[in-house]
Amino acid sequence: MDRSIIHLNVADFAVAVERRINRHLASRPVIIVPEGASRAAVYDMSEEAFRTGVRKGMALRRARRLCRDAALLAPHPDRYERAMTELLKRALPYSPQVEPGEGDGHLFVDATGTTRLFGPPVDVAWRLNRQIKKELQLDPIWSVASNKLVAKVATRLVKPSGEYIVAAGDEAAFLAPLPLGLVPGIELVDLARLAAFNFTTVGQVTALLPGQLQVALGRRAAGLHQRLCGIDPSPVLPVGARPPKIRLDHEFGNDTNDRQQIEGVLYGLVEGAGRRLRRQGRAAGRVAVLLDYADGLRRLRQVAAKPATANDLNLFTLGCRALNLAWDRRVRIRHLALRCDGLVSPPAQLCLFADERAQTERRRQLVTALDRIRQRFGDDAVQFGRRLAAA
Amino acid sequence: MFAMIETTPHPTAAACRLQVGTSGYSYPEWVDAGFYPPGTRAEKMLSFYAESFSVTELNYTWYQMPKAPAMERMCGKVPPHFGFAAKLTRTMTHEVDSGRWRGEAARYRQGMAPLIQSGQLQAVLLQLPPTFDRSRGNRVYLAALLDELADLPLAVEFRHASWATERVFAELAHRRVTLVAVDEPPLAGLFPALEVVTNPDLFYVRFHGRNARGWRSGNMQQQFDYDYSDEELQQWVAQRIVKMTARAGAGIIFFNNHVRAQAPKNARQMVQQLTLQGLL
Repeated sequence: MDRSIIHLNVADFAVAVERRINRHLASRPVIIVPEGASRAAVYDMSEEAFRTGVRKGMALRRARRLCRDAALLAPHPDRYERAMTELLKRALPYSPQVEPGEGDGHLFVDATGTTRLFGPPVDVAWRLNRQIKKELQLDPIWSVASNKLVAKVATRLVKPSGEYIVAAGDEAAFLAPLPLGLVPGIELVDLARLAAFNFTTVGQVTALLPGQLQVALGRRAAGLHQRLCGIDPSPVLPVGARPPKIRLDHEFGNDTNDRQQIEGVLYGLVEGAGRRLRRQGRAAGRVAVLLDYADGLRRLRQVAAKPATANDLNLFTLGCRALNLAWDRRVRIRHLALRCDGLVSPPAQLCLFADERAQTERRRQLVTALDRIRQRFGDDAVQFGRRLAAA
Repeated sequence: MFAMIETTPHPTAAACRLQVGTSGYSYPEWVDAGFYPPGTRAEKMLSFYAESFSVTELNYTWYQMPKAPAMERMCGKVPPHFGFAAKLTRTMTHEVDSGRWRGEAARYRQGMAPLIQSGQLQAVLLQLPPTFDRSRGNRVYLAALLDELADLPLAVEFRHASWATERVFAELAHRRVTLVAVDEPPLAGLFPALEVVTNPDLFYVRFHGRNARGWRSGNMQQQFDYDYSDEELQQWVAQRIVKMTARAGAGIIFFNNHVRAQAPKNARQMVQQLTLQGLL
């Protein structure tokens, strides 16, 4: 059966929520930025500020130079969270499959098979927009398409307000003339690689044979080609049914490219993630490292854990591999995040070779001992030396 | 009873080219109801539909401004003689912004360009909301809108009874704009079912169903859930359509009771009735 996915997207969500509270902000540019931070970066901005060149993550000093008459506001994540809950409440009567974004004004609604109850999905989308406008004073962009990827691109196209219906079967033709950067899930490194071949639009890339694209992008070519053709089988996950993952973040006080310090921080994150995994009786099948560089560029790299593990030492080895993949620039790093997903029950299969089995057992015993000490005397009772370097 | 607007009568009803279709064609429930073969994907529906009918009404252009590339792709799925009637976008009928609607009209025309160029655009349907009564402000707006879109084949569907007056019909006839004849539940305040023809080029009939209980439910699945009997359709043909065919060169008849594929079923019944009457 063809799927019907509605995407609601409240543009500049944080600003829209603040404007709902303070009507005087409606007629002027707004920049949302943390108060009192020595190196504050833009959290969100209004369309007017965006047009002057202000971007998310930009240093406040630069943003103010670009948009001198902007009103500066501190972010209120609790308000945005509440507004998301309100949005969700409006959408849930139409489908059990509603997937909200993370406090960002995005919401996917899977309206497949609901026509007999509520009418055509386009009508549901329009009615939802009207209801949200009336009751929440927010004006979400809405789109209807056969999958999440195309629906998301469609709302990006009509920002800051409007609607877009992509007919089933039109996905590839709809994406073809668009710039590659509009399609979610393409990493900057791939964009740069494609730009080097003078490819700027989706259609130019989808016209290539998969083998030709592989020359430029290697193993990532197949997945990317599928996305650019508008194929996205990912389901709309019901609230609370997202695949479990553990994510831990660290913001560096000063931007750094000191390897010892960065690996020390990574080890701290690994210890935290490992503890949570072991407490839940799970093991991670994949470890990812996300780096935000001082100039705003972001890199995310992940490696598979085979077999899945919850042992700090194994996780750290995997984390270091992901870090090395992501850390391919000389620019200093501002923020580091570790993500463990693909969570499964710990594998029961023993290692085949005796020496490998012995090492695994030693590592398990060491981590178990550390857990016991920490449980009794606190988290900081015992530490690895490499963590001290990060302090 | 309203007097017929005097348009030049056609010598015989057979000279009137009649087409029957449904309001919209992309309904997944029509697969379950058996109109489309099992497993028909949405992208294939128009091609299948065109095997049964020669005209359709585009509903989605009410929700979103038409886009020329999408229209072009749609044209490729039907034979060249297949016709379209397209609703005018809601930003010019239901959600009008006084400062922007003229720009919207220009965008609409651009979006429709492929259908205009291919000669497949048979009508632009201006469906006005039930709250749009015959007040002075609304009269002025409608006149300006008709002026703005004057180069398109326009058809106006009123939902408020206050528009059912001779002066309105005369003005539409003067502009050669089609007044849409409607069949809907006999509820107070709704525009009545009339056989008035205001445009000698085209008459336009919409069958919404007669579900009085569901009409104001706010749910399309209840509002348009109705199955016309052969007798009801026969009466319409005998009392109205025969007269209308004598006064226009072409006529399009749409069924909007899409629930459980009643629309295509009734459209086929209508084709039979018209054939029996020698009108098709």
